[in-house]
Amino acid sequence: MNKRILLAFAAMLACGAVDAQTEEKGFLTGSFESNTIGYVNDDKTFARVPDGGFGSNNYLKVDYYKGSLSAGLQMEAYQPALVGFPSNLKGTKLANYYIAWNDEDFAFTAGTFYDQFGSGLLFRSYEDRALGNNSALLGARLNWHYKDIFEAKLLWGVPRMPFTNYVMSDDEDNYMKGYPIYNEWAETNVRGADASLSLSNLLGLESVNVALEGSVLNRYQAVGLLAEEEGVKPSTTGYSARANVEYNGFVARAEWVDAGQKHYRYSDGESNYLIKNGNAQLVDLGYSGGGLGVNLSVRRLEWMNSYIDGRGIVLDESSITNNNLNYVPALCAQYSYSLTNIHPYVPMPYYINGPFVNSGEIGGQLDVYYNFRRGTTLGGKRGMKVNFNLSTYYNLAEEGSFAPGKMLWMNVNVGMEKYLTRKFKLKMLYAMQQRNTSYGMGDGTAVANVFVADMLYKFTPKLSTRLELQYLLSYEASNGYDWMAALFEVNMAPRWSVFVSDMYNHGMEKVHYYNVGASYTASRTRVAIGWGRTREGLICSGGVCRMMPAYTGGNLTITTSF
Amino acid sequence: MKKIILAALVAFATTVAMAQIPSVKIENGKGKSVKTSSLVDGETPMILSFWAVSCSNCILELNAISEKFPDWIEEADFRVVAVSVDDAKNSAKARALAEGNGWGDFTLLYDKNQDFQRAMNAPVLPHVFVVDKNGKIVYSHTAYQPGGEDELFNVIKGLK
Repeated sequence: MNKRILLAFAAMLACGAVDAQTEEKGFLTGSFESNTIGYVNDDKTFARVPDGGFGSNNYLKVDYYKGSLSAGLQMEAYQPALVGFPSNLKGTKLANYYIAWNDEDFAFTAGTFYDQFGSGLLFRSYEDRALGNNSALLGARLNWHYKDIFEAKLLWGVPRMPFTNYVMSDDEDNYMKGYPIYNEWAETNVRGADASLSLSNLLGLESVNVALEGSVLNRYQAVGLLAEEEGVKPSTTGYSARANVEYNGFVARAEWVDAGQKHYRYSDGESNYLIKNGNAQLVDLGYSGGGLGVNLSVRRLEWMNSYIDGRGIVLDESSITNNNLNYVPALCAQYSYSLTNIHPYVPMPYYINGPFVNSGEIGGQLDVYYNFRRGTTLGGKRGMKVNFNLSTYYNLAEEGSFAPGKMLWMNVNVGMEKYLTRKFKLKMLYAMQQRNTSYGMGDGTAVANVFVADMLYKFTPKLSTRLELQYLLSYEASNGYDWMAALFEVNMAPRWSVFVSDMYNHGMEKVHYYNVGASYTASRTRVAIGWGRTREGLICSGGVCRMMPAYTGGNLTITTSF
Repeated sequence: MKKIILAALVAFATTVAMAQIPSVKIENGKGKSVKTSSLVDGETPMILSFWAVSCSNCILELNAISEKFPDWIEEADFRVVAVSVDDAKNSAKARALAEGNGWGDFTLLYDKNQDFQRAMNAPVLPHVFVVDKNGKIVYSHTAYQPGGEDELFNVIKGLK
């Protein structure tokens, strides 16, 4: 199968080459990324060397464009996959391949593609290499638009299934004894349509933008006989309706989603499944102007998972590591400092743990960014930037309601950034994070206060250093009490960078998570080497999180594009 | 098998032109869909920067460009296009962050499912391109160290 596609692709390239000599020239672009780690045993963190001692994830992507035509492919090689990545990412494979026609009013894609409807609550297929996630659809897509008034797309496909897939045994009661298979594509069929109507363009309104959008998504996934007897449907359909308004710096977006039937394995003695209807509501309100940027997002989720699985059975339905057909991100503060990311917030599209069931969550976040311009009282000679985030989430007091139940998460942070002199820039951050320690089953919470000072000093226009100092203050054992972290970086623009860092839980664990590294960049090619100890922890991107085990060792990262 | 592919690629590479900006649909600040090919106006070159709320070096680079922009624009005519590749997690926040960082001089675009980023083959952030007035990519750079922005302006100044 793969070979035939490759050959077809090679033939197509060759045709393009011949063709190119007579007509306008096409162009080729691509990228290559390689992450390799050599592991060592570490008695401090109990990190263990995997078989072979090495892991290496490699991606080669090539695209060709010529006029309205484009085609491309992505090859992946896992030699073997890095520790913590899904175990069925192995060997060398042709992961993505497509050919597309992109005209003034029409676009047609055959092969693999990524897409999303609205914010992705109903449907999103995407790639996130840091997580090992790739939910590309293999199928076909048609886009059409009429002037700048109406846009529509139709798509059909089979999602990629890079996580371990289990085939259930014929005996329904023994489904747990199913055997794993490592196929590339899920046994799920997805059909969708999405349309967008610009009312403002239709009516010829210049100053305001008003758009109405809607989507429908059908998925077919075979289910077992027993499940079907209990009412689990193999074919489910979800809908989404959206409205977007922009006027003079104000933005309002609303999204309403009926995600269709969801089922969960849950035995109460009489039945084996909970059968529910997924739904979500999202409102974004924003303003930007005069150096002030404000955004408020409020969201409610209920039974909003959309797992991709083999035959209607997911081995562990409460697992957050399954691949999804939709996207339910954590709408909260975004940090780049290590101590603020020890306990990231994981959204709860529903929660089942033994007999405990909660149907979802409600909450939101407020972000404020402000730029005090130079010359103003607070701005001083060089201006000052400040930011604020408040985010909080609760589970639902009862199914179907909008009333908040127990608090799951709260974050408050304030940050500022200012050049104190021409050469010295100071950034400071204070963050308070409070999380429920039992995923909303109980009331207990743990609080962490994080203080960060981030200092950049420029010795010459090209030589600079950066020092990051962090302290986490906590009175709770579940946070490990107090932590500290530091990072020192020397940069020689535009090529060299070296750093050394350490993170240390002096309150309890008493292990140094040290790292040293250097990188060299020439144009679009970057080579980085490092050595260090990485702590076990959740790495998250949107609604998908993966538990990364502790590891110690040396890494080599090469990225280039052309 | 691999040899055939390689041979095809090599035969082909001899016939290809300089990379240009592929045409992909993304959103502008008003939420309207725009084609990336419309960024090429035939008159001025641009610095095209891919950034994300989670990428602190991207923000550092765009702030550095923003601070020098009033001086640079006196020496050469060019535009700065900042493309946020934030998905639904941070795309609304990206708009507020851009305003609160004073990026009013930039053209701000939102590539919410990374279609443009993929088409431009810029998998790792920060990634910045210098594109001439005809849409040809004349320079690109990944990663950022303070001071690296000066090289972008040197490339812009060298364009005629």
